[in-house]
Amino acid sequence: MSIPVSRTDAVTRILFEAFGKAEVRLFYLIGYAAIAVFFYGAYVQVRKYRRGAALKLEGGLWKRLGDMLSAVLSHRTIERRDRGAGGAHRLIFYGFMLLFAGTATITLQYDILEPLFGIRFWYGEFYLVFSLVLDVAGVALIAGLVYMMYRRGWMRLPKLDYARPDRVPGDPDFDRPQYRREDWAFLWILLIIGVTGYVLEAARLVWLQDRADVWDTRWWSPVGAAVAEALSALGLSAHAGGVLRHGLWWFHGLIALVLIALIPFTKVKHIFTAAASLMVRDPLAAQRLPRVPESQAEAGAAKITDFNWKQLLNLDACTKCGRCHEACPARAVGAPLSPRDVILSLREFAKATLESGVVPEAAELDIHGKAPGQVAMETLWSCRTCMACVEICPVAVEHVPIIVQMRRKLVEDGAMDPLLTKTLQTIHKTGNSFGESKRKRGSWSKALPFPVKDARKEPVDVLWFVGDYASFDPRNQKVSQLFATLLREAGVDFGILYDGESNAGNDVRRVGEEGLYEVLATANVSALSSASFKSIVTTDPHSFNTIRNEYPDFGGKYQIQHYTTLLKQSFAEGRLRVANPLKYRVTFHDPCHLGRFNKGYEAPRELLALLGCELVEMGRCRANSFCCGAGGGRIWVPDPVGTEKPAQNRIKEAAAIPGLEVYVVSCPKDLTMFEDAVKTTGNEGKFVVKELIELVREATVARNVEAVTA
Amino acid sequence: MKILVAVKQVAALDEDFEIRADGRDVEADFLIRDLNEWDDFSLEEAVKIKEAAAEPVEVVAVSVGPEEVDESLRKCLAKGADRAVRIWDAAVEGSDSIAIARILAAAARREAPNLLFAGVQSSDQSFASTGIAVAGLLGWPHAAVVSALSYSPGAKSAVLRRELEGGLLHEIEIQCPAVLTIQLGINTPRYASLRSIKQAAAKPIEVLSLADVGLNAGDVGEAGSLSRVRRMYIPERGRAQLIEGDAAAQAARLAEIIREFTGGSV
Amino acid sequence: MSGILVIAEQRRGELRPVSQELVGAAIGLRRAGDEVAVAILSDAPDRFVAPLSVAGVDEIVTVKTASPEFDPDAFDSAVGALIAARAPDVVLAAHSVDSFGYAAALATRLGMGFATDVFKAERIDGELVATRGGYGQKVNVEVDFPGRATVLLCVRGNVFKPPEPSASPRVTSFAAPPVMSRSKGREFIELSGGDDVDMAAAEFILTIGRGIGEESKVPQFRELADAVGATLGCSRPIADAGWLPKSRQVGQSGKTASACKLYIAMGVSGAIQHLAGMKHVGTIVAVNSDAEASIFGVAKYGIVGDIFEVADELRKLF
Repeated sequence: MSIPVSRTDAVTRILFEAFGKAEVRLFYLIGYAAIAVFFYGAYVQVRKYRRGAALKLEGGLWKRLGDMLSAVLSHRTIERRDRGAGGAHRLIFYGFMLLFAGTATITLQYDILEPLFGIRFWYGEFYLVFSLVLDVAGVALIAGLVYMMYRRGWMRLPKLDYARPDRVPGDPDFDRPQYRREDWAFLWILLIIGVTGYVLEAARLVWLQDRADVWDTRWWSPVGAAVAEALSALGLSAHAGGVLRHGLWWFHGLIALVLIALIPFTKVKHIFTAAASLMVRDPLAAQRLPRVPESQAEAGAAKITDFNWKQLLNLDACTKCGRCHEACPARAVGAPLSPRDVILSLREFAKATLESGVVPEAAELDIHGKAPGQVAMETLWSCRTCMACVEICPVAVEHVPIIVQMRRKLVEDGAMDPLLTKTLQTIHKTGNSFGESKRKRGSWSKALPFPVKDARKEPVDVLWFVGDYASFDPRNQKVSQLFATLLREAGVDFGILYDGESNAGNDVRRVGEEGLYEVLATANVSALSSASFKSIVTTDPHSFNTIRNEYPDFGGKYQIQHYTTLLKQSFAEGRLRVANPLKYRVTFHDPCHLGRFNKGYEAPRELLALLGCELVEMGRCRANSFCCGAGGGRIWVPDPVGTEKPAQNRIKEAAAIPGLEVYVVSCPKDLTMFEDAVKTTGNEGKFVVKELIELVREATVARNVEAVTA
Repeated sequence: MKILVAVKQVAALDEDFEIRADGRDVEADFLIRDLNEWDDFSLEEAVKIKEAAAEPVEVVAVSVGPEEVDESLRKCLAKGADRAVRIWDAAVEGSDSIAIARILAAAARREAPNLLFAGVQSSDQSFASTGIAVAGLLGWPHAAVVSALSYSPGAKSAVLRRELEGGLLHEIEIQCPAVLTIQLGINTPRYASLRSIKQAAAKPIEVLSLADVGLNAGDVGEAGSLSRVRRMYIPERGRAQLIEGDAAAQAARLAEIIREFTGGSV
Repeated sequence: MSGILVIAEQRRGELRPVSQELVGAAIGLRRAGDEVAVAILSDAPDRFVAPLSVAGVDEIVTVKTASPEFDPDAFDSAVGALIAARAPDVVLAAHSVDSFGYAAALATRLGMGFATDVFKAERIDGELVATRGGYGQKVNVEVDFPGRATVLLCVRGNVFKPPEPSASPRVTSFAAPPVMSRSKGREFIELSGGDDVDMAAAEFILTIGRGIGEESKVPQFRELADAVGATLGCSRPIADAGWLPKSRQVGQSGKTASACKLYIAMGVSGAIQHLAGMKHVGTIVAVNSDAEASIFGVAKYGIVGDIFEVADELRKLF
């Protein structure tokens, strides 16, 4: 074949230059084979997802696509809590995307447009700019990869430690060195592809140094040109350059094709699974749990195929980034739970059972237990359903619904701590977790100097859904009394449901007793529907979450606020006034169900500012607030003797704030857990725990009146 | 092989309860009903035997009471009973534990089980009599306060332990069929999820009249009882002398009491 | 029908103290001309004559049985025959595990008036009226026995005062009819519940109940008990949960605080079975956050408050 002489303004790269026809055919054969393997692999994965249960997605496809593209292109989910990884991954992502787009562009012309329609565009200025962009992309790619290697190899990040808290050394799947091998292999392969790309580019330049259009335009590929200079300086001749280029061409091409073929079989598939997972995300994943359809025989997930296709996809989307592992409060105090490892276990299980031609017998699909791939009871029961994992996951894995669904199975089997069993029975019998008579639910209000309206009997503007702890726990009853006083001071026309109120059911649902939750939700919706009110206010974030997000599924759609919003409004409208500014140095603990679940971060802070308090934030605040440990039913099951409790861990964090006077909470369970933790961590006398309501009351009572009305 | 488990839906008193106008019982409004705590254990024991048996064992729950008792029977079905039977007639009102035992014995004759379990007592009236009275009526061997049981279905005898006062156990061997009253703590009763209770609604509850079990009104009610309620009243509670003040003040007084007792030696 | 027949209880060669309490109850029911007879069933009944010789007993009836220990068929038959032969109008037995094993069957068979867990018995207008508890001991229930010539009452322990020992009642024997027993006693088993603490000998006990909430709180109270010089005890739920050994359980199926003079109950609600083991103690102090807890009904002093706060404050003073 003769080498055509090209003109400089038509400069381009001749593909397969100096390759024999057989060679080219071989390359295409390998290429098609690689693509075929890729498609086969993809088919096996998709078939696996389809073996899960059905699921209908809400929301339009285009919006989902738009949200996904926005998340992926901005990389905002990856840079959260790890700017280094965010930046480096951006470099890798954009570098790789550009390089891939570059190849695709060439293929587009060479294999499709030119042979079929005679269209050519990859030459001249376009070609030169194209070459520059790709060279820069390559630099970005390599830079990102080098940082990631440094991060993995030298930074010793705890979240990249694959040791599992739910296994012991010696268990077959304790440490998973195969993951580390795969991680490094991926980094190295990409690096090699990138580096050989430049060397290949340089070798070609050396080989074609006598061709003016190539040599004179070489600096449009600056890195390649620089390497070419170096190679020449080292004595590489044009002929040797040609040989090097020929060899490297195949090497580079083969590795790239192998990588493509292996995508569906390795972690490289996250390119697709992560994007797909982001596209099918449920923004209310942990806040609104799915109902069990009447027709379903078994409640809960007993087999891997009880998960729906989206959940199976979630399992594959996980990139082992470890952010959920790092954020989990149970893991932080040594409980045998890491959300990461629940997902990875199930992923391995799905891989082992659902990727072959035939789906195994039901008995082999059991995901509960201690064998590799299974999830143990202790792991599932350690979860606080605080959604720190769901909130931080860059690829939209929804851990909490998966855990709750598995808990539903445990509940059906009665496989729970006897104390939890007893509490569920108590709630069923009396409608509250304290075992108190329903009639005593409103007794806390008797101590007030004014009557509290019965919302069952007369219409009110604001219906206050009080909740179990605020109704029955002595410490929290005091807070309820103060809130009633504040509401009255603010001129709010309010009432409570007295005996008509039952436990809202948020935690019962998250324990997995869906049947009992339905009973509670139905009863509350019925009571609310018979009452006449404009909006609901609640002092209990758990009740707030379930009434706001989950009751609509039970026919109860209401306008509901947490008390912090209502009080803020009252101040804004002048109905409450600060008579006595508090000069305390405080910190604020964002309650999981108000903050992370429902994005209610600002109202409490605005209130504290209004009250004149000096707010010093803890490191783990707002979306990263560290759960007190009471959620997911854990307040009803004591922690094992001798372990650190999440609340103690959190108080120690607060204790590090110099001069801290008040640790402010706005949730009844937080109040209980943290007051206890202050004592047990030896911080009594250093600072106190106060409900925000208590501070508001303190600030609105003028000093000289205090002595009379306190 | 069949095990008959006699269960009772007991009544606990709600806050601020009131005695009925006739002074012989509490106003029905203030009664909170639930399955007797002991019956959780006796039912669980029967279901355990059923699950461990090689041959089929039928567990039948039986109770005396009006329609509201069905809720407790449904719980039994959810926990593993195969069938439930309820017997009721207006004439049963006013029955003491012995009159109830007559009805249960009649049901037992109809069902012909190999074993009959009852709870040691009920948490509301604590007669601790019904099960053994049934045994007397049937003429069966019987043992009360069983805290451990070893029985293979269809066997001629069982080995069990009676839980005596002071934490002592008495092991005996008893001929079967027998009536056993089961004590708390013999096993860990399984949890019946609400879903399973709802699904148990599919299993039928057989409702029988007195005639169906071969009895008439004269066998039950006051006529069939060995005692009669004359009067029910709220007793004068012993008044403890309350120590007032905050925790520190209360503890200080308590420390005084302790030191008075120990002679200040501590 | 006349006269009162008391069925005494013995176990492992020892007379159970409730037997003498029953005599105390019998004395309260005696009418003019009534004799009080105490029957004792055992394979060697004579050895129990001495402890049964207390004031108010007119006759001790020894009944020789085949087995040294309680047997339901033997008791049903022997006591039934005694009643048939002597025609008492009141029969008093203990409300005990042994009685649970036969009394109801016997009463049903003989058509006797029958009431259990009786803590008060009197005659009103000539009629026998027994008082027992109802609805979990929250109410008192008076029962009577219209038309019943003989009434069997199972009497609650630790309620009636045993009379003083006295000189000699007459001693007779009664031949129980032969009986085919359908159960056979094998052995007694002591529950080895952990440590070797002797609750029955402790004079100062501090007991914790369900109110402590979690196992992790137990060490705090153990330390408090040590500090004030008390023996640590617990109610049934704590022992059942394994938080303390069974040997520390006070109550009906646990130990009776027989020698105790000062009893502090923290977080104990006062279920009847627990009270059975301690309500006789001279000075009882109850600490509970629930002002309505039954324990306050038997306590001399009551503290309504948070048990942990009180415990903390108390600890500081020792």
